[in-house]
Amino acid sequence: MALHLSMGEAHRRITEYLARFSDAVFSQDGSALNPLLAVSSNSPYLLSLADALNVFQDSSRLVNQTDKYSLLGEILLPHFRCLQSFRIGRFVDAYVAFEKAANAFLLEFRNWETGWAMEAMHTVALEIRVLAERADRELALSGKNPEKLQGAGSFLMRVFGALAGKGPKRVGALYVTCQLFKIYFKLGTVHLCRSVIRSIETARIFDFEEFPVRDKVTYMYYTGRLEVFNENFLAADQKLMYALMHCNPRSEANMRMILKYLIPVKLSIGILPKMGLLEKYNLLEYKDVINALKMGDLRLLRRALQQHEDQFLKSGVYLVLEKLELQVYQRLVKKIYIIQKQKDPSRAHQMKLEVIAKALAWLEMDMDVDEVECIMSILIYKNLIKGYFAHKSKVVVLSKQDPFPRLNGKPVNS
Amino acid sequence: MEKKNRNKAEKSGFQRARETRRNPPSSSNSWKLRPPDRKEAPAAVEESSDPSSSIRERSHNDDDLNPPALVGTCPDMCPVKERAQRERLRDLAVFERLDGNPARTSPSLAVKKFCRSISTTHMQASDIRPPQVLQNTLKYLLDLMDSPEHPFEVVHDFIFDRTRSIRQDLSMQNIINDQAICMYEDMVKFHIISHKKLGRCCGKSDVSSLSYLNMEQLMKCLLSLFDMYDINQRSKSIGKNEAEFYSFYVLLHLGYKFPKMGASLSFWYSQLALPVLQSKEMCFARSLLRYSQVGNYKRFFSTIAAEASDLQLCLLEPFLNEVRGQALCYISFSSYKLQPYPLRHLSKILMIKEAELESLCYECGLETSTDEAGSKFLPAKQTSFRLPKPGFQSYSLFNSENNCG
Repeated sequence: MALHLSMGEAHRRITEYLARFSDAVFSQDGSALNPLLAVSSNSPYLLSLADALNVFQDSSRLVNQTDKYSLLGEILLPHFRCLQSFRIGRFVDAYVAFEKAANAFLLEFRNWETGWAMEAMHTVALEIRVLAERADRELALSGKNPEKLQGAGSFLMRVFGALAGKGPKRVGALYVTCQLFKIYFKLGTVHLCRSVIRSIETARIFDFEEFPVRDKVTYMYYTGRLEVFNENFLAADQKLMYALMHCNPRSEANMRMILKYLIPVKLSIGILPKMGLLEKYNLLEYKDVINALKMGDLRLLRRALQQHEDQFLKSGVYLVLEKLELQVYQRLVKKIYIIQKQKDPSRAHQMKLEVIAKALAWLEMDMDVDEVECIMSILIYKNLIKGYFAHKSKVVVLSKQDPFPRLNGKPVNS
Repeated sequence: MEKKNRNKAEKSGFQRARETRRNPPSSSNSWKLRPPDRKEAPAAVEESSDPSSSIRERSHNDDDLNPPALVGTCPDMCPVKERAQRERLRDLAVFERLDGNPARTSPSLAVKKFCRSISTTHMQASDIRPPQVLQNTLKYLLDLMDSPEHPFEVVHDFIFDRTRSIRQDLSMQNIINDQAICMYEDMVKFHIISHKKLGRCCGKSDVSSLSYLNMEQLMKCLLSLFDMYDINQRSKSIGKNEAEFYSFYVLLHLGYKFPKMGASLSFWYSQLALPVLQSKEMCFARSLLRYSQVGNYKRFFSTIAAEASDLQLCLLEPFLNEVRGQALCYISFSSYKLQPYPLRHLSKILMIKEAELESLCYECGLETSTDEAGSKFLPAKQTSFRLPKPGFQSYSLFNSENNCG
């Protein structure tokens, strides 16, 4: 523990870190610099350094008395303060200090022509978000306004600006974009994603294929989720499928996150996943929804939505799942048709509205003939049923050919 | 351009409020009680009313040394300077004229106008009305709603502008307490009642744009109100009031031409506390939206008749014809050529007077047929359907069973 640390040992640790840091910078060694900035990683190395700093208490003298360290003083000194504060659990102080260090780092980064420090810049981007989240939690718990994450977002926009140029640094822009997405989603300001998305997708300096796969997967995951919020199912399918296909299959947590949003999208376009998939990735909240679709059981759908209401509302898929109702009706009518066909094939294509009402009553769904007629008229209009209804005779007449067209990968006609 | 400035004035008011907010009046554990997933301060709701503001703009606001909120001292509904100026310019609304004189007003008639190009640095305390004056002004304005001497569009236009000015004064003084909440709720009610009344005005083209602007303002008011509920931590222990006001926001999405502000409804739900979402009023609104999107016009109308509150019904009325129109479309498409649909029966399901249903058919480009007995029918397979134009007169909810509407 820090108490047993001697001044001499503390001094040694600090000067060793300073040497490492400045060597990394002056020899442009990105992979050496990177771990020196990862504050929240709680690496033993940084923890021991933080202890040393808290004991020594006068690190600024060490930095300023040597030229090659003092040149990096604007980064190092606030970074030290951050490490110290973080070590003793003062997260607001840690964030404030890190923000200063990060800004100073960005200034230097802009001057370095090659992308040698990209990894380190990414670490800074990650750290500023993580530290801001911790800081905000601390603020909230003490009844104050949590505004650090918003500030981190501002910083990251400036980083993005530094990367959005013609040089080799531009391949790092997608990583920063993803950090911004995480911030916007956390803050609930998802409309701000629009401007970064526009920069990535329309600016001529960026070639999407050049970005690292890992970043492309994260990007497609978040933009896919935005499409789900906006109920653009085809776009959502395309993006989430990209994320799924390129995601590391061994990263089960990530696969699960993608599937959580992809499954409702697939259901909307008439594609049902196998139960095995739900079991493998622990997405059993969709089990009853899928069974409802398979069996035409509207009661089951309603129950499933009710049971997991909070979860579905929070993730934004509730309204998507609600709309599956029409497909469930289609399935029910189809089942009745199949039964009728077995009894009397020549008359199967005529279905009394009363019969449908009875089937629904059996499922504890009370619907009078008017409502059944209403539902039939919609199913026909939206091409889930081919045929027509006759009001006076109170029947639905199904087309002899393909009366229940499949969705075939397209959402229900609106 | 003015929209952005106005949003900045309102926006920075709430921003300042958050920054200077002291410990909440309830227990110091109040923050801990919030579920960890829900974000604490929905900056989204306020920002989203100006979708073009980038995070740079907002960070700029944060960096500004925000001047402390002004405290208004103007004792009248309209500051003296403005009264004198508008008398000179003969810029007095009909309600403000003393004995009908377009160049003379009085402290009891003049009401401060909404100012587009406002800058908080040039504002003087004597130009801003304190909360009690604002409350009295609001009451005065709302009492004008039933003025029989003027056409409703004129009354609406006046109250629309003058209440906007009230919100401006509230925002500049950073007032977000219960009194402000009450005022905002009253202003929302004004917009909702206007929404219904404008809907019933016979289709003049300027009424339809007035209606759109009204919906836009209604939405902005609601979003600001929700922000205030949140800052005052109202939504945790939700009273009846809040639930109904949240439900208005959902119901607004029924209009096919409503002003699209803020994020999608799915996203909005994801940020809302569960007790709000599960309240009776919200469940009602969510169900209606579901019926409308699935196309279940039968349940749509029967649910409204059974459960809608007065204000909810006011808000819904101008949207009813769109749903009825859709129903006509489905029926015409799906019904049997040789069995045209009887309008009398349909009018019961759609809760509309039969004569009005007939007019609606024509408005939607559909023909009707008549049998020997004189009963009207909707022929099938008509291809000329179009939704009723915005500005087409709304028809009330007519429940033939209780004859209410």
